[in-house]
Amino acid sequence: MISLVLGAYAAEITVWHAYRGAEEEALEQAAHQFSEQSGHGVRLVGVPSGAYSSKLETAIPRGNGPDLFIASHDNLGKWTTMGMIEPLVLSPTGHIPVAVDALTLDGKTWAQPLAYKSVMLLYDPARIDTPPTTTDGLIELAHQQVEEGRYGLAWQASEPYFHAGFMHAFGARALEPGGGARLDTPEHAAAMAFSKRLASDEGIAPAQPTGALIAQLYDEGRVGFVISGPWFTADRSRAIAAAPLPIVSETGRPMAPYLTVEGVFEVPGAADGSADFARYLALGEGAAVRSEVGQQAVSDLAIQSDAPMRVAMAEQARTAIPMPSDPDVANAFEALARSLRAVQRGTLTPEQGAKSAQNYYDILSRPLPPAADPRPWLVGVALLVLGFLGWVGFQLREPELRARVRRHGRDYLWILPAGLAMSVLVVLPFVTGAAVSLFAHKGGEWRFVGLANFLDIALARDWPVTSSLSFVFTLGVTILWTTVNVILHVSIGLGLALLLREPWVRLRSVWRALLIVPWAVPNYITALIWKGMFHAQFGAVNAILGFLLMRGEPIELDWFAQFSTAFCANLVTNTWLGFPFMMVVTLGALQSIPRDLEEAAEVDGASWWFSFRYVTWPLLKPALLPAVILGSVWTFNMFNVIYLVSAGEPNSSTEILISEAYRWAFSRGNRYGYAAAYAVMIFGVLLVYSRAANRLVGEKVI
Amino acid sequence: MATVTLRSLRKSYGTTQVLQHVDLEIGDGEYLVLVGPSGCGKSTLLRCIAGLEEISGGELHIGDRRVDQLAPRDRNVAMVFQSYALYPHMTVRQNMGFALRVKKRPAAEIDAAVMEAARMLELEPLLDRYPGQMSGGQRQRVAMGRAIVRRPDVFLFDEPLSNLDAALRHHMRVELKRLHRRLKTTIVHVTHDQVEALTLADRILVLNGGVVQQIGSPRELFDTPANIFVAQFIGSPSMNLFPATGAGGEVTLEGVEGALELQGEGRFTLGVRPTDFVLGEGPLVGEVDVVESLGAEALLHILLGPYTVVVQAPEPVGVVSGDRVQLGVGVVHRFDIQEGNRL
Repeated sequence: MISLVLGAYAAEITVWHAYRGAEEEALEQAAHQFSEQSGHGVRLVGVPSGAYSSKLETAIPRGNGPDLFIASHDNLGKWTTMGMIEPLVLSPTGHIPVAVDALTLDGKTWAQPLAYKSVMLLYDPARIDTPPTTTDGLIELAHQQVEEGRYGLAWQASEPYFHAGFMHAFGARALEPGGGARLDTPEHAAAMAFSKRLASDEGIAPAQPTGALIAQLYDEGRVGFVISGPWFTADRSRAIAAAPLPIVSETGRPMAPYLTVEGVFEVPGAADGSADFARYLALGEGAAVRSEVGQQAVSDLAIQSDAPMRVAMAEQARTAIPMPSDPDVANAFEALARSLRAVQRGTLTPEQGAKSAQNYYDILSRPLPPAADPRPWLVGVALLVLGFLGWVGFQLREPELRARVRRHGRDYLWILPAGLAMSVLVVLPFVTGAAVSLFAHKGGEWRFVGLANFLDIALARDWPVTSSLSFVFTLGVTILWTTVNVILHVSIGLGLALLLREPWVRLRSVWRALLIVPWAVPNYITALIWKGMFHAQFGAVNAILGFLLMRGEPIELDWFAQFSTAFCANLVTNTWLGFPFMMVVTLGALQSIPRDLEEAAEVDGASWWFSFRYVTWPLLKPALLPAVILGSVWTFNMFNVIYLVSAGEPNSSTEILISEAYRWAFSRGNRYGYAAAYAVMIFGVLLVYSRAANRLVGEKVI
Repeated sequence: MATVTLRSLRKSYGTTQVLQHVDLEIGDGEYLVLVGPSGCGKSTLLRCIAGLEEISGGELHIGDRRVDQLAPRDRNVAMVFQSYALYPHMTVRQNMGFALRVKKRPAAEIDAAVMEAARMLELEPLLDRYPGQMSGGQRQRVAMGRAIVRRPDVFLFDEPLSNLDAALRHHMRVELKRLHRRLKTTIVHVTHDQVEALTLADRILVLNGGVVQQIGSPRELFDTPANIFVAQFIGSPSMNLFPATGAGGEVTLEGVEGALELQGEGRFTLGVRPTDFVLGEGPLVGEVDVVESLGAEALLHILLGPYTVVVQAPEPVGVVSGDRVQLGVGVVHRFDIQEGNRL
């Protein structure tokens, strides 16, 4: 984040952006030139791209935002609703038409277009002379590239943004013009089938492709074609060339990708000169700087670079379709992504995939539950508070209690800081969360719905109980997850602790240190490493299994394609993480058992097993029980492993309650109220569990 | 019932040798006490017999079996630990029945055996109590009971009375003697208390620094100690020792006037037990320092030249602190002035 302050000019224009590198340099240069010419100071503020939208959305409505900001057009719909931007007075001219279209809504244009980008067909010029113009040609050339460890084509196949080209070529689209999505169409099914063919069946593409994997493969010269955008070319170590996406041979239509247009938006009440700067940046000198220094594909018709990358980009822009700015597109994308993953794995046919996408979209975009009357609730809360105060007052009438309070008054002062901290860090979020669970949220609208969320969750109104989206199903998976994990943790931890006590073990302290390592490494790193190891094609696990089963090559098991193996992958990772804790607790507990007792049992004739079962184990149980209860609560809520390793695949079936709550809050249409209700129910389950556990132990362990 | 034979038994921990060449033959039904100061290796020796420690050399036989390579559970020995090692989560009944449960004996048999041992040790009212609910003495009896129930070849007692108060210890010594007479089992008993050794043992093995000092009956050890260590260890108060020179039927103590009519040539160490002095007549003259009256007897600390001599005599002694008295000697012991062994 650098902020550039230019002199003590009169009205300073604050501009926010998320640029880095060459683009940032270009912006600075343009701003400098503008300042010199116009006399207006320009202050540029760089914001990390990850938090950019949310920063804008929190700062601008409060009046803490900039005068101008540079962003892509896809949030246009949301921002107009929130009143964050001013429409332009005159529709801009001199730009390529599609760029202006992207920034136009309700007949008004809301930003000055700056640049545009989309995915293209990138290829390795060292291996391919002429890029293909049809998909048949692409497939043929891709096959020629394939050999040991080399792939023909790679792209993020299950991301709807990258899938858009195929989608549009088959005549399907994410959102209908009037709003809403129709995903259950033969066109979508055909697009998914085609995508599957290229991604899996033809054998030209790597499995589970992530951006990082594709980048690495390209740099190693192991892939011929990549479908990606200008951002992909920026850091490559091999030369890379670009061409427009080919025409799909089956339909004769071009693969039309989504076009993202970057524009400079003006905030209501912006400083003088803001509109001028925006125009300066968009056309003419500003555009020239951005094109030459920033290497952007500018929308200014007059400035056409002859850099080959940008020539291809300009060509692609002619068939590209602007990304929809309706916030509902997020739901359509989520639904499509889910189905794409399933279809490419082979767990659903393309037709089933399309249908499932529609189902899922319907769930995500479901309307809010009916509003409930908050009055009874407010009365209830008021009564509770009054009742509590009354009870306190009543208690204080007793002189003995009053005397005690007075005597210990100062003691309470000592615990006040801790009490305050706890209230703020624990009580406040809890109460807020519980309050949120009484509301429902959709697309910025909050509505008080009383217990509707809880009823929806508990009664599984919108989908069958056995669906992986139902609370009961997820609860079942979570209980299975917790039980199996804890059993494994305790067995392995106990076994190792007993083993470490054996007199014939050498280098005991070395072993102890090594066995603590899984616990010591931050668990998200472990989870990511294990995820990599379970990769279907490049993972260590498949290679090792292939070796152990004497196949001579890695086995080809897609771990995340079925519930059993995905669950196992999660289980292995969490067991790796969890057994050291049990081992350490057991080691400590074993120390406290007098050696005498085991010797006495030995002299009395007991075998190792008899002595363990009747002497060691009964004395070990009281020490292990708190650890087991703790461990089971931690495992019950182990978000990291589920989220990072299986990510709930396949089809949300390996999600546990806590990761489901996360999904509802952040992946499935931002249903904060629903997710909060989920969290409250998780709390309820664990509360019941800990009470039962206390009863079991016979004293207050927790 | 069985004999226990140790041949050239050695035990080392790394380079430290804890037991050196122990040769011992314990007869069937014999009560052998291993005695010595702290750290002498007596507990280690006991644990070697039990099998809880591996011996570093030599042989160990119980009965006609060679057992030094066998696990403790195969040796048919029963051990009573110093800490009693009762299973805290089991009742007295279950503790005592443990070994038979290991052998999977039928419940009726276990019950009968436990009841018999409980009767022997007066534990019947405690059978359903837990170790944590009993006094030290009661726990000690339970530990005994647990060993008795097994009817082993050998009993091994590791300082069983050390944690009891004086009166209880005295009582239990008598009980142990009765028990031995009744059960007739071979017993190896480790203690640092020489009184226990003298009262309980058929034979005593005195150990110091891992080296056997003397093996013999209490009488032998008392009357004819093999070296200075045994002489001072056995008998309370300990034997008085003086460097002495003898020539032609007369022995003088260094630094003391007067000569004793004793045999002995050259320089040697003279030992006289407190009870072997003659008070009131003799060639030595000393001054009474402290008189400890024990009721029926008294211990007099008498200054004799550079030494303080302890004399035990029946009350009334008729002297008080400050008096000058004459001293003579009765039975004496002579030891080599360098090596300390009996001459």
